[in-house]
Amino acid sequence: MSKLFYDHLIVIEEVVAVLDEHKLSAKERAQILKLIDETLEHEILDAIFSYLPGEVHEEFLTKFHAAPHDPGLMQYLKDHAVVNIELAILDRANKTKMKLLREIKKHTKS
Amino acid sequence: MYKGNLNTSKLYLGLAKQAAIAEKKLHKRHPHVVKFFTERGITPGRIREHAARVATATAMAGAMLFAQPLAHQVASSPHMAIAKLSASELRKQLSNQLTALLPDAVEPLTHAQEEAVTNEIKSVWGIDANAMLSGERLNRSYGYMGAEQHLPRYPGDSVGQHDEYQRSGITPGRGAWGYFADSRGQLTQDLVQKEKWYVAVQTLYLPDWNTRTAYLRDWYQYRKVLVVNPQNGKTVVADVADAGPADWTGKHYGGSPEIMAYLGINVGKQKGAVILFFVDDPNNEIPLGPVEYNVRVGRPMT
Repeated sequence: MSKLFYDHLIVIEEVVAVLDEHKLSAKERAQILKLIDETLEHEILDAIFSYLPGEVHEEFLTKFHAAPHDPGLMQYLKDHAVVNIELAILDRANKTKMKLLREIKKHTKS
Repeated sequence: MYKGNLNTSKLYLGLAKQAAIAEKKLHKRHPHVVKFFTERGITPGRIREHAARVATATAMAGAMLFAQPLAHQVASSPHMAIAKLSASELRKQLSNQLTALLPDAVEPLTHAQEEAVTNEIKSVWGIDANAMLSGERLNRSYGYMGAEQHLPRYPGDSVGQHDEYQRSGITPGRGAWGYFADSRGQLTQDLVQKEKWYVAVQTLYLPDWNTRTAYLRDWYQYRKVLVVNPQNGKTVVADVADAGPADWTGKHYGGSPEIMAYLGINVGKQKGAVILFFVDDPNNEIPLGPVEYNVRVGRPMT
């Protein structure tokens, strides 16, 4: 799976591990992981652009589009964001993962 | 359906809802971000797929840097080159690349081969076409296409009402998704195009067809696909409007008379190897029919 510059803050493996406790086919697993990834991407983008001043949005988007994996993007965010951006991403990722895990639990027989 | 203790169908629906909520929130709060990506052919939420393409392109560029003479490197800026090429030159370029990528035998492609084909199609035609879309995929993304007849578009439709290839005939029954319209009066130009550029795909052999029939039936109806004849690079945007052919025919897809003619496989045994990928076109911007220029770059200057 290709890397995005903030992946080290997401630790998606925590959700994958719970999912892998069940006997999913490869296709089902891929479909579910895709939805989880989509949700996290939307949430993290929302967090980033909520804390990044509007005047640098275009510049950041251009850099992100050119090299989505570039670790330098995190430094760019640190330099421009109005909060501690790593903590903000971490917090949003954790909250989203909790929601996703609750959803998995909701559909699991005890 | 429970897998172990997990109801995967309900989980899928629940997660799809979560994804939709997150997507809606981003659209509402940061529409310029969504616009930025959409204009570049990227769906927010699938940036990882874009990251994969960037990584592949970077790797290929690195390899080409060492493989090509400097003069050629300077002259081959991809977008500049694509903008200047005629339809026949684009087809030739695609055909050359695909011939090198595809296996000698017409067999299922590996994931890496499918990704490489996706990249080539994007590079030449500017269209996002993938073997898998929204988690759905056919059993084959590369296989043999055989000739189909016209489909009746409304009750009482006859082959004489179809404007071309009347000698191909018309099926005695309806397509797998029924008539395109309830009556001739309700037949729109859009539906005419849908019949003209239709394909049949083997939904009946999907491993989950029997367990997710209702969802898959809706998902596949008029699903936009890209069909490429790798032998000549001819490419057509089509839609799924029938199911089949049966496995015993040795074919994996069926093509309307118009598609078979355009792709140049309406000769001899009326059968040819094609790539068939789903078109990622959420805003329905890519019209059905032959692809003759790069949709991102625009028509070449004449």
